[in-house]
Amino acid sequence: MSTVQTAAPVALRWVGALAAALVIFSILLMTKGANPIDAYQGMWQSTFQRSRSIEEIFIQMSPLVLGALAVAVPARAGLTNVGGEGQIIIGAVAACGMFLLLGDGASGGLILVAMLVASVVAGALWAGLAAALRLVAGVNEAISTLLLNFVALDVLLFLIYQPWRESPVGQPATRELVDVAKLPVISGTKVHIGIVVAVVMVVVVHLLINRTRWGFRISVAGGNSEAARRSGLKVSMLVLSALMIGGALAGLAGMIHFAGVEYKLRPGFGSQLGYTSFLACWMARHQPFPILVAAFVFASLSVAGDSLQLDSGLPAASVNVLTALILIAVLGFTTMRKKANA
Amino acid sequence: MFTRKSSVRVAVSASVAALVLAGCSSATDSSSSSSESDGAPGEGTTAVGFIMVGPKDDFGYNQAVYEGSEVIKEAFPDVEVLTAENVPEDDTAATTMEQMIDKGAKLIFATSYGHLDAALKVAEEHPDVVVVQQGNTITTDIPDNAGTYFGTVYEPMYLAGIAAGASTESNKLGYVYAFPIPQTIANINAFERGAQSVNPDVETITVSTSSWCDPGKQQAAAESLLSQGVDVLTQHQDCTSTVIQAAEKAGAMTVGYHADASSLAPEGWLTGAVWDWGPLYTDIVQTVIDGDFVGSEYNDNFRVGYKTGTNPFVLAPYGPDVTDETIAAIDEAQALLGTDEGSPFVGPVLDQDGDTVIEDGVVPTYAENDAMDFFVQGVVGNLAQ
Repeated sequence: MSTVQTAAPVALRWVGALAAALVIFSILLMTKGANPIDAYQGMWQSTFQRSRSIEEIFIQMSPLVLGALAVAVPARAGLTNVGGEGQIIIGAVAACGMFLLLGDGASGGLILVAMLVASVVAGALWAGLAAALRLVAGVNEAISTLLLNFVALDVLLFLIYQPWRESPVGQPATRELVDVAKLPVISGTKVHIGIVVAVVMVVVVHLLINRTRWGFRISVAGGNSEAARRSGLKVSMLVLSALMIGGALAGLAGMIHFAGVEYKLRPGFGSQLGYTSFLACWMARHQPFPILVAAFVFASLSVAGDSLQLDSGLPAASVNVLTALILIAVLGFTTMRKKANA
Repeated sequence: MFTRKSSVRVAVSASVAALVLAGCSSATDSSSSSSESDGAPGEGTTAVGFIMVGPKDDFGYNQAVYEGSEVIKEAFPDVEVLTAENVPEDDTAATTMEQMIDKGAKLIFATSYGHLDAALKVAEEHPDVVVVQQGNTITTDIPDNAGTYFGTVYEPMYLAGIAAGASTESNKLGYVYAFPIPQTIANINAFERGAQSVNPDVETITVSTSSWCDPGKQQAAAESLLSQGVDVLTQHQDCTSTVIQAAEKAGAMTVGYHADASSLAPEGWLTGAVWDWGPLYTDIVQTVIDGDFVGSEYNDNFRVGYKTGTNPFVLAPYGPDVTDETIAAIDEAQALLGTDEGSPFVGPVLDQDGDTVIEDGVVPTYAENDAMDFFVQGVVGNLAQ
């Protein structure tokens, strides 16, 4: 099978899936008394014909890409990482801790690197907890990573309610990052460099899982762990490392979102980022490059959600319905492709 | 084949990355403030935006905001009213406000407490747009195009506390709250002090949910309080139906918040603090359109209460179990709150440790109550600081 021949139908299927979702959503729009053409026009104009919105898409995309990669790497080893939500929070918490520790004294480059390292290590260790539970006690990592999300949230709340709280008066939050601890932006725009980090990590992860011995081994372990064990692979180390690398990527996503957008830890920090990334990864069928597309789609939808409210007067939940329809349509079409190729 | 395809992808991505990297620079040079304007901020605006943290039909805070925005629609037929619900209390709020500004809004109501950071950021970037925030307090210098507004909701909560204190049999009241912010702390303290004024043995047990509207946590908090013997439940949440229904189901009494929810609790409803934003919103919009915002009372931390006579928070209708005697006591207390000597916090006020915080006979100001950071004696719960 040639590349050109398969690429075209895949693109066509994506377009078909998106179109199908939009048609179904039109019916919903009409039942809510909105004109679908006006609604889509409003969404298009306020999302893709407004430079601020396009910048916003790239800003929102960055943590989604990294969060989705955090699902993709363990998936290669046959592991389900539902813990992106918590790993993102812990990554941001570690970055914030590093900022509070170094205070205002450190110079710009240094403090950002320190925050980045802290977030990556913390994310990896947090995911490592789930890996260890699996290896030692046989706990399914889909359950443990999910439950650790709630623990991570409690850790965050404890810190911002007590030791790290900016002021006893006011909503619980940490103090704002100083300017040197904020991610720089791409000149002429409001987009921070998180998008560059995200794109670079897509390439790195692609090379890691497709070009390295380790990448080959985790896919063997993920395909058939018994066969892998019998051929002499250390499956436990592969499980541990795959999940920890996933956690590291999610931790990085947390740092990017914290130092690039929020600048403060608040009670709802990163809410839903991990779960949205999880969906984006499934939409991209766990492949690094398609993750860029999926994250772009999710970020665009999120930005377009405002238009549905402001231009068409629809409820805030409408955009979630549209997102779900698109996800189902795309996943449905990809399953068909699998059958056709089998 | 596979190899060739992926090499191309790698090459493309790498070059994209290189291009983007080449365009990088530091954060400092990009913040250009937009739009110079001739007139006063917000003057003659043809659109007004409202952002809400929750759904506009939540039987509570956001519904009250939405109803206020409907009043604006009627009062100013030429003004377009833009509303956005479910806007989180983080940087996304700034994004949504930016979209409203692009649609012509030069006046934005950022209506949740945690929207303040985003509101100030937007105000700074758009000197020609007025951003007013509901319920929080600006503690730094107040810019010419920003302000906060609120009523003294702890005053009706004090009155509701009288109804609760008179009605309880277990002498235990339950309070489900979101965050330990001064507004909430003042509510809880006023509620307890209102109850104490008719029932010295009463205590108020508090549970926080760390969310303005999370029905799952609300249910758990309500059940936990009921299991401790609480027989009157109240709350500081944005969406109120879950706690009220939990109380009614358990046969407990309830004091509502934001909206008259007596229909949800026909048996146990006592009363509640209900919100009527219409008149205040209308006056703010008129002030801004006329170009009179700068230096006005709204270009400040504006507070109204029973003393000024225009409190947007009023007492809800009474339920069946509230006696005439209690109603008389509430009427008397309300009249006193409207005078210079009246306040839910007339000294002596003791904190949980029994230390005197407000000296005997002292009547704290609205501004002082807005900075409250301690629980009074009789409140059970740990105020994290």
